[in-house]
Amino acid sequence: MSLRRIRLLIWKEFLQLSRDRMILPILIIMPLLQLVLFGYVVGADIKDLRLAVLDRDGTTVSRSVTEAFTAAEYFKLTVRAHNDADVQRALDGNRASVAIEIPKGFADQVERGESAQLQLIVDGSDGRVSQMAGAYAAGIVNRLNTELYPRQAALAKGNVGIDARTRVLFNPAVRAINTMVPGLLAFILLISTSAIMSQAVVKERERGTLEQLFVTPVGRTEYLTGKLVPYALVSVVQASVVFTVGTLWFKVPFRGSGFVLALGLALFLFTSLGMGLLISLVSRTRQQAQQMIIFLQMPQMILSGFMFPLEVLPKWLYAVTFVVPLRYILVVVRSVFLKGSGLAELWPQFAALTVFAVGIFALGLSRFHKQLSD
Amino acid sequence: MRLFRTTSRQTSAAPDSPEAVVADGLTKRFGDFTAVDAIDLSVPRGEIFGFLGPNGSGKTTTIRMLCGTIAPSGGSATVMGYDIATQPEKVRDNIGYMSQKFSLFQDLTVDENLRFYSGIYGLSAEGFAERRSHILQMAGLVGRENEMTANLSVGWKQRLALGCATMHRPQLLFLDEPTSGVDPTARRQFWDLLYELAREGVTLFVTTHYMDEASHCNRLGFMYRGRMIAAGTPSEIRGMCSDQTILAITDDDRERLLDHLEKQAVVHEAYLSGASVHAVVDSEEVCAGSTLSIDSGDLRVRAAACVEADLVAAGFAGARAVVVQPTIEDVFVHLVSQERERQG
Repeated sequence: MSLRRIRLLIWKEFLQLSRDRMILPILIIMPLLQLVLFGYVVGADIKDLRLAVLDRDGTTVSRSVTEAFTAAEYFKLTVRAHNDADVQRALDGNRASVAIEIPKGFADQVERGESAQLQLIVDGSDGRVSQMAGAYAAGIVNRLNTELYPRQAALAKGNVGIDARTRVLFNPAVRAINTMVPGLLAFILLISTSAIMSQAVVKERERGTLEQLFVTPVGRTEYLTGKLVPYALVSVVQASVVFTVGTLWFKVPFRGSGFVLALGLALFLFTSLGMGLLISLVSRTRQQAQQMIIFLQMPQMILSGFMFPLEVLPKWLYAVTFVVPLRYILVVVRSVFLKGSGLAELWPQFAALTVFAVGIFALGLSRFHKQLSD
Repeated sequence: MRLFRTTSRQTSAAPDSPEAVVADGLTKRFGDFTAVDAIDLSVPRGEIFGFLGPNGSGKTTTIRMLCGTIAPSGGSATVMGYDIATQPEKVRDNIGYMSQKFSLFQDLTVDENLRFYSGIYGLSAEGFAERRSHILQMAGLVGRENEMTANLSVGWKQRLALGCATMHRPQLLFLDEPTSGVDPTARRQFWDLLYELAREGVTLFVTTHYMDEASHCNRLGFMYRGRMIAAGTPSEIRGMCSDQTILAITDDDRERLLDHLEKQAVVHEAYLSGASVHAVVDSEEVCAGSTLSIDSGDLRVRAAACVEADLVAAGFAGARAVVVQPTIEDVFVHLVSQERERQG
């Protein structure tokens, strides 16, 4: 091992990186782009759902129902319908995605303290919209109940002591972005690190410089160190950018310890580097390596809980998620960010991450040595 | 300057052996496939050794073993006196290697490539300055130090690659098809540089499939299907088929001519060579079987006349056949077909 040679290899790698017109923008722009896309689009709460109202009652009470819906920023009144056909047209023509129908006699029923019916019609063609609209509406109706039936509400509360409201812990505003940004921290580390690492070795093999280096005094460990260090440094910069923008711009709270977060990400970094190295070794060309990365990205995104909760998966698919390293780091980053969890709570995830980091990295190393000596 | 003297002294102080390369039963197997089959080699110091053979015959695998990058499956070899199996680091310190890909970093400048290799071989600052100016001059790249290597044309790249490979002044240089894809002028210039290195006492181990380059070498080895089927000086090699007559036959339609000759029983081998078709025949057999009677002159010349007459009779009106001295290529074609027959 010669430090001087390693330094030289790192210098060379950075020079090459700085000359690659494709890689550098990808390294800097990709994380920011993903932050914006995921942060503003995927992570955003749905607002201003277009609402159609068919008020057959036309009383103060019925108007207060409409007001309750439009008061929150979740719904925006776009259509005032006069009959069923109006409602149908509004939904068909995409002018409304939710409609409420207040039947005649609604106010009378309320006044008499009888249960009154309110029909909510939701456009089911967008699953996310219908889910959210249902949830929002339920919340609003809940609140309406306490206003319109003060006596009954007090009674129910006093008698049975049931509180129907769900209390949301850790993420009281239920800001989707609060779970999205920590997740992105891990996800970006995964895709960019494994993507550039996968190019690193196969590129040199294609050009013959790998072959050349191994007839010089450069040793295998030196070569590998010279490859890994630059990309690890790049990843650290990327993670810092995402962290900074996430906490300062998107105002995601960070309640845990920086050390625990860094430790988790470091373990995950080794896993990603190892994965990239493996791909680089089994691919014959750069293009092949790239395709393999893309091929592996989608399943990891879905089978890790990054975009969809793991609970929605069928049992057999759920079993697969245990071998997806991203699954564990996601729990770590989200818990450290939002709950302030430490190693005491997160040790199972850390154990799993250590196994993956050591296992995958060792596999990459042994494959590297084997391939070069054959 | 001093640094290089020390380096070369270290090299020559290595286990004393008059041979730069010695291989004994060197073998490499990949699974069931034997890429290199028990070859013996001996290359004296200061020689240009031409390592020839068709693609896939095991030349590159042999070189990679000799460079210490892959381990042999059997046999042994020493390079500059060091055992390739037990002292691969020593081997790599003492050799230079240049492949047909001119493995330079395309996205680094000329100067950065030089700087990189000088650092890898541990040259001192003054040592580098001296080698740098020497290499730039040799490669004709003075004034173009900051140019991106990718933008250089093939000939320059090739010379720069040679410079990088000899940065540490190795006493043995392996060149794996160093001239493939290079135009004839650049090839000649490159061989001039190789001769210069040879004059300085550097042993050159060159693979090529340009047969004209083979005659530049002091000694040749010919690989076929992992085995060394012939070795010797170029004139020894040429003498290997003295019992055969080689005819160079020309006609307007070379392809049809080749087709026809391949079907003739008296023609042992026929193949394209330059502008003509070479036919290997046994002169006595040809003359005995011919109806043409020429009573005087050399047997070979008579055989040529017989073949020519037969061709004219067969409809090749413009066919001309002359006796030629066997080239190295002729010998190798002959050896390969012999080897094929032997192996069935």
